[in-house]
Amino acid sequence: MTDTINARPGYSRRDALRLTGAGGLATFVAPHVLGGAAFAQGNAKAPKGRVVVGVSQEPTTFNPLMVHGETDDAVIFSVFDALIRIDAQGVMQPNLAVEVPSQANGGISKDGLVWRVRLRDDVKWHDGTPFTAEDVKYTLELIVSPKFRAWRTGGHSLVRDLKVVSPTEITWRMESAFAPYLAFLAETFIVPRHILEKEADPNITAFGQAPIGTGAFKWGQRVPGDRIELVANPNYFGQGPFISQLVFKYVPDMTVLYTQFQSGDVDLVDQAYITADHYEEAKKLPGRTVDLEAASGIEGIFFNLERPQFKELAVRKALYAALDRKSIIDSIYYGVGTVTETFMPPQSYYHDRTLPVQDFNLNAARKILDDAGWVPGADGIRAKGGVRLSFANSTTSGNHLREQMQQYMQQIFREIGVEMTISNLPPAVMWGDFWQKSQFDSGLSGVTFLIASDPDVTNRFASTSSLAKGGQGSNVMQYSNPKVDELLKQGRSTFDQEERRKIYAQVQRIIREELPFLPVFAYTVILGRKSKLDGFKFNPNVRTASWNAAAWSWKG
Amino acid sequence: MTSAAAPHPARERWWRGRTMRRFLANRLALFGAAAIVLLVLACVIGPGLLPYTSLSIDLRARFAPPFTGSHYLGTDPLGRDVAARLFMAGRISLAVGFAAMLLSTIIGTLIGVIAGYRGGWIGAVLMRMVDGFLSFPSIFLVLALAAALKPSAMMITVVIAATSWMEVARIVETEVRSLREREFVQAGRMLGLSGTHIMFREILPNAIGPIIVAATLTVARAILMEAYISFLGYGIQPPLPSWGNMLDGAQRYLGSAPWLAIIPGAAITIAVASFNFIGDGLRDAFDVRGDHK
Amino acid sequence: MRGFLVKRLLQSLILLLIVSVIGFAVLNLFPGGPLAQYALDSSMTQDDLMRLKEQLGLNRPLYVQYLDWAFRLVQGDWGHSFRDRAPVLSVIGRHLWATFLLMGSSTILAVGVGAWIGIRSATHRGSLFDHAATIGAMVALSIPTFWFGLVGIYVFTLRLGWLPAGNMYTVGDESILDYLHHLIMPSAVLALVHVAIWSRYMRSATLDVIHQDFVNTARAKGLSERRILMKHVVGNALLPMITLAGIQLPSVLTGALVTETVFTWPGMGRLFLDSLGYSDYPVVMGLLMFSAVLVIVSNLLADITVALVDPRIRLA
Repeated sequence: MTDTINARPGYSRRDALRLTGAGGLATFVAPHVLGGAAFAQGNAKAPKGRVVVGVSQEPTTFNPLMVHGETDDAVIFSVFDALIRIDAQGVMQPNLAVEVPSQANGGISKDGLVWRVRLRDDVKWHDGTPFTAEDVKYTLELIVSPKFRAWRTGGHSLVRDLKVVSPTEITWRMESAFAPYLAFLAETFIVPRHILEKEADPNITAFGQAPIGTGAFKWGQRVPGDRIELVANPNYFGQGPFISQLVFKYVPDMTVLYTQFQSGDVDLVDQAYITADHYEEAKKLPGRTVDLEAASGIEGIFFNLERPQFKELAVRKALYAALDRKSIIDSIYYGVGTVTETFMPPQSYYHDRTLPVQDFNLNAARKILDDAGWVPGADGIRAKGGVRLSFANSTTSGNHLREQMQQYMQQIFREIGVEMTISNLPPAVMWGDFWQKSQFDSGLSGVTFLIASDPDVTNRFASTSSLAKGGQGSNVMQYSNPKVDELLKQGRSTFDQEERRKIYAQVQRIIREELPFLPVFAYTVILGRKSKLDGFKFNPNVRTASWNAAAWSWKG
Repeated sequence: MTSAAAPHPARERWWRGRTMRRFLANRLALFGAAAIVLLVLACVIGPGLLPYTSLSIDLRARFAPPFTGSHYLGTDPLGRDVAARLFMAGRISLAVGFAAMLLSTIIGTLIGVIAGYRGGWIGAVLMRMVDGFLSFPSIFLVLALAAALKPSAMMITVVIAATSWMEVARIVETEVRSLREREFVQAGRMLGLSGTHIMFREILPNAIGPIIVAATLTVARAILMEAYISFLGYGIQPPLPSWGNMLDGAQRYLGSAPWLAIIPGAAITIAVASFNFIGDGLRDAFDVRGDHK
Repeated sequence: MRGFLVKRLLQSLILLLIVSVIGFAVLNLFPGGPLAQYALDSSMTQDDLMRLKEQLGLNRPLYVQYLDWAFRLVQGDWGHSFRDRAPVLSVIGRHLWATFLLMGSSTILAVGVGAWIGIRSATHRGSLFDHAATIGAMVALSIPTFWFGLVGIYVFTLRLGWLPAGNMYTVGDESILDYLHHLIMPSAVLALVHVAIWSRYMRSATLDVIHQDFVNTARAKGLSERRILMKHVVGNALLPMITLAGIQLPSVLTGALVTETVFTWPGMGRLFLDSLGYSDYPVVMGLLMFSAVLVIVSNLLADITVALVDPRIRLA
């Protein structure tokens, strides 16, 4: 329970694109965005049955353009549609657009500056009004409207000269070439102009309490603190839905959530999924399918590189050598989690598999420190030039598994003459200025490095992204390397996937060598559902397991 | 009041005579006192007698049920000995309880004495402040405070004290107000004694009975509070164990390792009940009227 | 009476002022804030965060934020939740009934069981039952509520599988029976402490009455013991009971908060913790004010009731 009080799990589950082949070609291969059961059944069959999805945080934001968390995505993905969507393989699929814009099909100009999107003509809002290019224009304009409390404006703020060519076609110009924008669009859900236009304040609207979208499910009702009910949209332009009711049940306590899955009250455990300690037991439940699925967050130890203890690479290398990742994963995390060497999620197309592998070796760690001149003092703690090798490690208080990990590392580090103290903080304090302005020594956190599954990590590793150094971004480690800066710049303006892959492989190699953070493991989530639930597919590229509810159906 | 009959009751030694006899006659209170003594002894000596320290991690021995080898109370998710942790946690929890009691008694007494003796607008303002604090459901205030501050044993103590001095203040204020017009106080005033002297030397010793009762009950309350705060994740932080934070996290292992939840909870209940028994016994012994609220 | 009311009302207003200042200061003086939760969202840039801070008015000086909030409150505008953008009062309102149901059922349970134990203890003074009740009450007052809840879940949900461990309903089965099924454990857990208080109270109230002349007279008249008890004891104890209920309200609220946490009950306590976790200040402040008003009003009502019913008590 405290987990939920203490906040949202410290990572989100977004992921890199896994582009298997040329972007343009994929458009023709997959006729249905959501895949799965769609082929087997037709729309002729009336939707039937109800699916109850358990979530551990309460969805409260239903305007998809406003600041919201991952738990809200569970609802948003079913009620709304975006121009394009990303599928479970990481391939972009058309949703409200008829094709994914690319340089190959002319949707994006050669210089990457002019975009043209053609839209479907058979889409209607839940209230019957037809969907047109005006809605898209309104949406993209609303996001950058200064009065509107938008979620993020990155990418959108580069858009200029939005023009509605016809009800089914829209064009715009980008201020500068920005390859990640395609991935951003896959998370930009289109809102109805005819409804929001009438509101005096776009932030506080009736729409926000009972949204109207184009999605496979319509708003039913919300019982605050308990659940949200959606009902099938029989006029959905895509295939499905095959179930008549979709319920998101809020169960803040993970143990209770699991108990309800066990008893059958909950059909599917979404966000924050089944906890590792229940995995063995869950696998044996009759009539349930429990799978391990790779997610996109990376659990890591983040150094504040401006601290004298961490300035030297030898120290970071020694700590990495003393990081007993196997025991941490196997014992504390019940074997759920994948060892990784990079910030790029393992299932990402851009993930570099050739990076050197860390080896847990305390003697090697001691030797690195000895060689670098860190000598143990009277208290057994090493020091060099008046700097004691002692630091604090901070994370959200109340995250039990992390606290266990900290205590275990504390003991091991002591063995190589390094003192680590634990100084955990309530979430609002931890992730406030303390974290953003690099006031910590070292932090333990689950971080998703990619934005909207695009491999661009400027926000995390560019020298201009450190707040403490007067920049803008989330480079809390205060990492700075001109070579990396240059590579990131290149990557942002390159549209060719193969080229980008090469660029980001280099970035990964440099980061692996310099160790501004120590990767502990890549997140794996435990996904439990009733075996009779058909059409379910996990998608590591989005933040919710309920991304394709339109394809779900009950077997038999 | 027991002491009402004495002309200058401040001289009466409360720990001799009737009060003590009455307390000793109260079996429950004695039982409580004995339990506390045992508990304190166990927490002080206990860790030295066990083959494990509260911090030694052994990942191979995770979740050992009670009476596995020499893990008499089993082990926790990191393979640490629950008994060793329980005793070390006891030190923290009891220390926080006592410290919070001391702090809140001092604050409460000061405010109560001043409000009761001075009366007038000072008294009114002070007592409205007390009412103000009392009309917060204190857990709301405690949680808001704890969520905003960096959690540490000291912090928790202060937070608990900050939300539990009001009852003492009320009790003391009532006592002092009734004592203010007594002859020995009037006499003191005529002798030209300073207000401070009269307040703290003449009046306060006569209100000591109710203060001690309130203080005892405050220890009980503080231990419970610590448990609540730590259970909700805003309290004492690991690796420092406390009874409350041992329970925090135990909920997720309720199915597989119930002893992790049951043992610290039982310790809290025993400690708190013992203090309540003692407080109740003292109340009877001092003959303090009914339930002060 | 009128003078008393005016005075108490004024005092209450000052109280509310103090409560609001303390609450606001506590919430705002410390680091973090409502936007900290988004710092980990990789897609929110610092620009976005600064923009939101300005849009939410969080970059204004604290006293301006307070005065703005307070003036709106006086005009009946409690503000909007940062989290779901609904008006704070409606957010609270939507969680209110769940808490009231829980508090109501547990109070009924507590008063009923407590009265029975208390009266029986008094009429069988010194018996085994009396002693057991005394000890039991003290122990009950010492058990951490949440722990009692955990043990309940362990026994009745995990081991026996008789009772559900959380929420108010099974989705799809919203019958009254289903609801009661979910209600049993939380209300029993919440009632525990209050059973202890009520039983102690009823015991002493009964003892007070039992030896009074009119009871002896009634006994002499040959009225049955039971009828005497019902008529006089309950009649006489009713008044202070109202006061006690008023005084206990804060503790019931506190208990409800903890109980709602353990049993994931969608009430105000849950809302408070969630809002605190998200630093949803408008809702947290709203709940603080709401509970303070609730406590003050119930205390006031208790005083007034007592004064109206019993003219001997002078209102000062």
